[in-house]
Amino acid sequence: MPDRSALGPAAEPAGATPGGPVRVLVLLYGIFALAAGARATVQLSTRFAEAPTAYLLSALAAAVYVVATVGLVRGGRGGRWTALVAITVELVGVLVVGTLSLVDPDAFPDETVWSGYGRGYFYVPLVLPVLGLLTLRRRGTAR
Amino acid sequence: MTLPLVVATTVVAGVLTLLGLASTLAGRRIGLLHLSGAGLLEALLVLQAGIAAVAMAGGTTPADSPTFLGYLVGVLLVPVAGVLWARAEPSRWAGTVIAVAAATAGVMVWRLLQLWEATGA
Repeated sequence: MPDRSALGPAAEPAGATPGGPVRVLVLLYGIFALAAGARATVQLSTRFAEAPTAYLLSALAAAVYVVATVGLVRGGRGGRWTALVAITVELVGVLVVGTLSLVDPDAFPDETVWSGYGRGYFYVPLVLPVLGLLTLRRRGTAR
Repeated sequence: MTLPLVVATTVVAGVLTLLGLASTLAGRRIGLLHLSGAGLLEALLVLQAGIAAVAMAGGTTPADSPTFLGYLVGVLLVPVAGVLWARAEPSRWAGTVIAVAAATAGVMVWRLLQLWEATGA
């Protein structure tokens, strides 16, 4: 099928190289670590006084994404534990901040990554920890 | 930073996202189609950066210049990083890597347009 070969050579069979999904997860977390980190840096350095809570939350979110990324990259038992803790914090964070930002918008004059359950980022911040936990769970039981 | 260019970039990014997902579903790595798509995407992004640079040199600057420049330069790296990463990925998830990179670039150009239209005044 020529149209299929344009999609690339056949991949190695599943299981031959474990961790493909984890590497996709690493990519997603890496992007969010960069995006949240850059956003927090700009917010904190140029207009910290306007909305300190929101900007500190941005920085916290960035830190959590960085820790999760590092944990996923390192792998092994330690790495998985680190990632598991970071992703759990992330899930709690996005749920709590998302709820608070809708209940009490005045407390969040400027957007954070987690505002409105991550609506500014197409709800990826809400979906990402769920995907992360599912992937870690699958990998955990597979060993 | 014009709407037609952003729309064109989004279309290319969208097609590349679908191609990437198609590879993963077909159990394949990435091929010539993906490389051409990523090349076209990168060319559009470079064109966009050029247009923005010329406009900014001419005195039109967005209100939030640091963020704008961050996105403008950052988005250029996304397809390149996506291709390098996907080529190093031996499993069928290579396509998903390209898809994620393309979708990211597609979203970033809209954020760029938004930042550009908030011209400092």
